[in-house]
Amino acid sequence: MKKGLKSGVCSLTTPGNLVESNPNSNSNNGASAKEKDVISSSGELENVQLKPSRDASRKKLCGYLNKLGIKGPIKTWKSRWFFYDENKCNLLYYRTAQDINPLGSIDLSSASFDCKVENGEGVFEIRTPSRVFTLKAISNQAMMYWLQQLQMRRWEFLHSPVDQGRAQAGCGVDNEDFLPLVKTPTEAVGLKAASLPAPQTSTALQNISLKHPWTEIQNTVHNICGSKQLWGNNGNVFTFSEFQEHPENPDEEQEAEVEAGCGGRMDSRLNWVRKARWMNSGFPGLPEELSRERNPMDKVSVLQQQILTLTEEVKSQKELVKLLHKALEAAQQEKRVSSMYLTAAEDKDRLELVRHKVRQIADLSSRLEALEQEKKELEQILTLRDSHIQELKEHVQLLMEKNHAKQEVIMALTEQMAREQSDPLQEANTITVETLYKQQEEIEHLKDDIEAYKTQNQFLNSEIHQVTRLWTNVAENEKALLMKCACLQAQSCQMESKYLTVLRKLQEAVPGLPSSHAELVRNLIQEALQWDVKEKAEEGFNLNPVSEYDEYGFMTVPEYEVEDWKLLAKIQALEIKSNNLRSQEVVEKPLRDRWNSIGELSPSVELKSLIRSGIPVEHRQRVWRWIVSRHCSHQPDHYQRLLQQSKSTEHPACRQIELDLPRTLTNNKHFSSPTSQLIPKLRRVLLAFSWHNPAIGYCQGLNRLAAIALLVLEDEESAFWCLVHIVENLMPADYYSDTLITSQVDQRVFRDFLSEKLPRLMAHFEHYRIDVSLITFNWFLVVFVDSLVSDILLRVWDAFLYEGTKVIFRYALAIFKYNEEEILRIHDSVEIYQYLRFFTRMIMDGRKLMSIAFNDLNPFPMKLLKNRRSMHREELEAELCELEQIKAAYVKERAEQGPQNLKEAVSEEEEEI
Amino acid sequence: MMAIRELKVCLLGDTGVGKSSIVCRFVQDHFDHNISPTIGASFMTKTVPCGNELHKFLIWDTAGQERFHSLAPMYYRGSAAAVIVYDITKQDSFHTLKKWVKELKEHGPENIVMAIAGNKCDLSDIREVPMKDAKEYAESIGAIVVETSAKNAVNIEELFQGISRQIPPLDPHENGNNGAIKLGKQTSQTGRRCC
Repeated sequence: MKKGLKSGVCSLTTPGNLVESNPNSNSNNGASAKEKDVISSSGELENVQLKPSRDASRKKLCGYLNKLGIKGPIKTWKSRWFFYDENKCNLLYYRTAQDINPLGSIDLSSASFDCKVENGEGVFEIRTPSRVFTLKAISNQAMMYWLQQLQMRRWEFLHSPVDQGRAQAGCGVDNEDFLPLVKTPTEAVGLKAASLPAPQTSTALQNISLKHPWTEIQNTVHNICGSKQLWGNNGNVFTFSEFQEHPENPDEEQEAEVEAGCGGRMDSRLNWVRKARWMNSGFPGLPEELSRERNPMDKVSVLQQQILTLTEEVKSQKELVKLLHKALEAAQQEKRVSSMYLTAAEDKDRLELVRHKVRQIADLSSRLEALEQEKKELEQILTLRDSHIQELKEHVQLLMEKNHAKQEVIMALTEQMAREQSDPLQEANTITVETLYKQQEEIEHLKDDIEAYKTQNQFLNSEIHQVTRLWTNVAENEKALLMKCACLQAQSCQMESKYLTVLRKLQEAVPGLPSSHAELVRNLIQEALQWDVKEKAEEGFNLNPVSEYDEYGFMTVPEYEVEDWKLLAKIQALEIKSNNLRSQEVVEKPLRDRWNSIGELSPSVELKSLIRSGIPVEHRQRVWRWIVSRHCSHQPDHYQRLLQQSKSTEHPACRQIELDLPRTLTNNKHFSSPTSQLIPKLRRVLLAFSWHNPAIGYCQGLNRLAAIALLVLEDEESAFWCLVHIVENLMPADYYSDTLITSQVDQRVFRDFLSEKLPRLMAHFEHYRIDVSLITFNWFLVVFVDSLVSDILLRVWDAFLYEGTKVIFRYALAIFKYNEEEILRIHDSVEIYQYLRFFTRMIMDGRKLMSIAFNDLNPFPMKLLKNRRSMHREELEAELCELEQIKAAYVKERAEQGPQNLKEAVSEEEEEI
Repeated sequence: MMAIRELKVCLLGDTGVGKSSIVCRFVQDHFDHNISPTIGASFMTKTVPCGNELHKFLIWDTAGQERFHSLAPMYYRGSAAAVIVYDITKQDSFHTLKKWVKELKEHGPENIVMAIAGNKCDLSDIREVPMKDAKEYAESIGAIVVETSAKNAVNIEELFQGISRQIPPLDPHENGNNGAIKLGKQTSQTGRRCC
């Protein structure tokens, strides 16, 4: 409904100039073609008058409207003639335009207007304080016209005393603000409309106002009277022009006619009544038409038509006159014959005449008969023809029917063909037509849905945004908390380790303490050593600062029986844990990321540095396998063949291997148990190696190397090849062979490096006669196994496997440098040895150690190492050779001198050398 | 306060006879079936009273495998005493013992106190080396001999007490450090020769 109104308004606004051709209004009014001309001419007049001017207000506002009856059980629309009374600002309404007494009036000065679109087209209300009038114009346009006009009139009335021009202008402005002025719907309003029939189709009875019976009767009476006068007037052709001169004052005209009708013209009444009757039969409706005509052209055409009719009448009159002449002639001849008969004197003549007549009659009778005969024949022929015609008609009918049927078939076929040809389109069209409304409705629904979904989507987006932010916060918090937790754990570990250090110091001082204090210290130490167990039992989760075993099964706190060592081991474990926790985020994670990004392994500087930093547990096996496979050209069956060999033949080293198997990596859970799966594997690897390299066979220490290889690589064949790689590729020749000569050489080389890199420490050692090779020998032989804690050990091994023995030198030096200050503080040889015995286990910071090994000790040229090795090897071989000679000489001498001088001789020799 | 004498003691003997176990029992009074084989050497100390002196034993435990013999001079040079261990259940170990005695006689420090320990006496059921053989041999070389069990802590203390008793008391004209200095001197001499 609203849309309808809007579009209506739009159409009102769009035509810029309503004066000019208005096909819409013309087509809308539905008037006859004749009336159109009249309207277009009068419409121009009225449109010109629409300009806001005094003339416009002068124009009378009147017209037919339907008024909704308020009384009575059934509310019905009644057609009323509405007329605006300027003087009183009242809208008067009549049953018809011709009525003189209004049925009622509406006081517009205190009225308000309202149009309720939902009520229907053209319905509007006039609200007065006392009553609401519901009126209906024939269209929305008419309604708007009425409303605007009413508004304007009300405005004029209320402002008339002051300044009408200004008010008019203001009114115009007002109207422009809201709605443009509506073109006068000429067919529905104005005086002209009065002559039109009431627009409503309802019967006259319905229009009769029951409310105003007296007025109704008055009006009816007046109408009857008035219509007689009018009829009479219209009939008078000569008064037509007079009538036309006063078209806008029908009431006055009527008054005038009534007076005229009642007065001077009464005498001539009979005359024009008869005439009019005659004319009425000839030209029905003409006076009415004429009465309405204003156009002279039309009048002429009407008159011409009249002339034509009259001319025809004259012609027919002339023919009639001719016929009458003929009849007159025949009568005169008859009269002549009769007079002759009467004048005949004699009977003979009379008889002759009679005979003549008889003959004549007979002749006529025969002629009549003949004619009748002829007539009969003709009738027969006629009937024949009729029947023939009938037959022909039937035939034609038949043919017509056939034709029709055929046409129908053709039509059907054509339709079918057309349908088939344009089937898809038509179908689509049909569907479109059929479902257009539905689809539109659906579209509306979908649009609503879209809106709803949009809202929902927006909400969800915001929700997602918010949740994401929350999540990020939580994640950050968690990260921070984890960091904090790690920090706290690290702190806790450090505190604990400090506490243990204090306890250790106290323990050392125990002998000097009072017995009660000593007891307390002992208890505290006991307690501290049992913490782990307790915590595990109570908490059972990984917040436990130090777990019992690491990922390779090494005990984090080796079971030393000496409490002193236990404390130290625990202190170290705690420190390592603390260090690891601290470096987790900063150091380990980026390294891990870099490792994860490495796909195919290939030798590079980057890989070298990565390996030096330590291979993450999850990558270690892969990398080790890769390193080993690079250096050992795998013979596929080699290991199996060696195993077969070791089964069939017992190697001399077998006894030593068996002896050492249960004593390998006793602090690792995978080897400490005699039933462990790794021990048989280790046996097979060592036996295979003893067959693989008979020159070495088995050397104590190889068991540890193979054990580490097994722990990391798991697969025994890989471990075997790893062992081969270490012994045959990495270590110099004769490192593990009978005399361990290159191992001893390396100790001398190491001493040189120690002097070079750590001269203060070396001086300190020399001052206290410390032979570091007593300590370092096994570092080199077993690559720090059982010396360094597993965490650091495996990092050393990573680099060692990739780079070779130089790594051992670097780390051995680094270990001393790491503890240099500590050692320099000790000024007793036994104390120093004591310290060196466990100081590798006191290394807490693997990263620091690594940094020393690979940065602080640079430069570390391989060439220097090689040179020193060859130099010391020569020296050592010379010494050994000399020793052999001395031995040989001694044996010879002893054989000559006899046993009693043995001791003296030996001492002498020693002094000499 | 009693004077502390530092006495360097080295343990020699075939592989797996229980050298480390004896040291472990003596120093820590602890026994472990599967004590790791000694590579190179290990060092421990223990102080025991002896008369009016305190003897601080600086014990060098050595590797038993034959190819480590070449390293032995590093350990036994400058030693006041050597504990040579054999396994009473293994005849071979007794042979190895004899080799060590010979080497010590030939290259060891002058006046080194030699103690022979027949370990694993708890396993006398499967004994291969009769007590008598050991005693006779010990007498022939003027060594202390004792059958021990590190596992059951049999004669471990006694072994070291015997060594303490064999150490000659300090010369009244010299202070307590004299012995150590003397030993140190010998050490430097042998060091030059052997290593």
